[in-house]
Amino acid sequence: MNFIILVLEVLLAFGLALGLASFCTWVERKGSALIQNRIGANRAGAFAETNVLLLKPFYFGWRLLGRLGVINTLLCDGLKALFKEDFVPQGASSFLHALAPFLAVVPVFMAFAVLPLAPEFNLFGYHIRPQAASFYDGGVLFLLAMGALSVYGVLLAGWVGNNKFSLLGALRAAAQMFSYELPMGVALGTVILVYGTTDLYQMVESQSGLWGIMKSPMMFVAGLIFFVSGMAQTKRVPFDLPESEAEIVAGYLTEYSGMKFLLFWLAEFAEIALVSLVMVLVFFGGWHPFPFVSLPSGSWQAALAGHFILLSKVVFFCVLQITIRWTLPRFRYDQLMNLSWKGLLEVGFVNLISAAAWKLAA
Amino acid sequence: MTALFWLLAFIVLSSGVAVVSLRSPLNSALALALNLLAVAGLFAMLQAHFLALAQVIVYAGAIVVLVLIALLLLSSKIEQHKRREDYLAVAAIVLGSLFLVVLFPLLQGALPQISANNVQVTAGTVAEIGRLLFTDYVFLFQLAGLLILTALCGAVMLARSRPGQGG
Repeated sequence: MNFIILVLEVLLAFGLALGLASFCTWVERKGSALIQNRIGANRAGAFAETNVLLLKPFYFGWRLLGRLGVINTLLCDGLKALFKEDFVPQGASSFLHALAPFLAVVPVFMAFAVLPLAPEFNLFGYHIRPQAASFYDGGVLFLLAMGALSVYGVLLAGWVGNNKFSLLGALRAAAQMFSYELPMGVALGTVILVYGTTDLYQMVESQSGLWGIMKSPMMFVAGLIFFVSGMAQTKRVPFDLPESEAEIVAGYLTEYSGMKFLLFWLAEFAEIALVSLVMVLVFFGGWHPFPFVSLPSGSWQAALAGHFILLSKVVFFCVLQITIRWTLPRFRYDQLMNLSWKGLLEVGFVNLISAAAWKLAA
Repeated sequence: MTALFWLLAFIVLSSGVAVVSLRSPLNSALALALNLLAVAGLFAMLQAHFLALAQVIVYAGAIVVLVLIALLLLSSKIEQHKRREDYLAVAAIVLGSLFLVVLFPLLQGALPQISANNVQVTAGTVAEIGRLLFTDYVFLFQLAGLLILTALCGAVMLARSRPGQGG
């Protein structure tokens, strides 16, 4: 029975990653249309009709989804990618060419395993904590480890493309992910120092009064640093130097098509969701609805409510990231590097030391 | 759990052999990454979660990635690699056997004392490693930090552009 609970928890984490990534895809397509004063995807499925009375309600929902562009962005695009030609460049190893998208996706999805999603509860005599890898010591460090591993997919993709645009894109991506991993690590170090634990569940529990970001000025700065470097890790505008189409075609994605291309895309959107989730869990109170209004643990009703409260906050941060992506122009490369090495990193270190002093004084 | 151990041990050994026997340096680097990840899995099975994560962050996540970047910069084309000389393989086997002969008596004395029962379960946790680093080994820890700082300054000095030499 415990095994079945574990399988359900793993499926929940996996489904959450996939669902949030699909949601972000839809917001990206339809939301960008709103921002740019276009109409956006609104045709596929929008005019479906039937004469069978029983099916009419379903067709109504189908038409609604079609008007909203959900069918176009999720169903049609996925099918199109599946039926496209899988092009492997000449002289490249087809094994490595197929391996690269998986190496991009797997670490991001694995990171969802350590995230707690709701307060623990008792049901049918079982004590359940909605967190797939709750036994693990050092949840926050696991996130950093998976972030470090996600470089492989990009590097390999650039190398296997066997042309200079792919290679330039991969080198840019690797340098960028490396540079922004350090401020992110320092920000998370500050977080570990303030909470006194590496366990994400305990972090959320200790935010039942004040949310993390209000605990001290250092936590506010750490939150900012984490958000900026998290956005840089997702390699999207304003940090999309690795695939800036005006300079290097599509960067490391140049030689990818069809479903393999879509897997990179999926990894990118799952990363957006991951950054939002960690942001909410560590800095914005997790499943506690408001500051000083906490959700009690123990009952399954509270756990169910906790999932939805957490998700609504996560959706806010996903939409925020996509709005930033469609609002700001791209950085120049030296600006990108200066921001990390000469800005965020120093601020992060000073912040870490002041957080230590604050903790000693308190 | 035993099945998992044998699986990880098989991956560690086979990828270790692959690191030294594969022709393409890129494939060797990838096999090394797989090897380090499997070793991290072995650490995690011993409840040494922090060691496992440090293994992934530092070795698989940083060092092998740097090796990969160096390979990308040096050989951007997919190239054919020439055959390795045979005498090198013979020398490697002879030296390896000699090393084993030296190592074997030591291992024989040490191995029976280690069993699943007397391994300290808390040895690899975040709290325990932090306590050791900031109490018993604090000076060595600081010295290691100083060493890394020196190496960092050295790297900056070497890579710095000098006046009159351009770029």
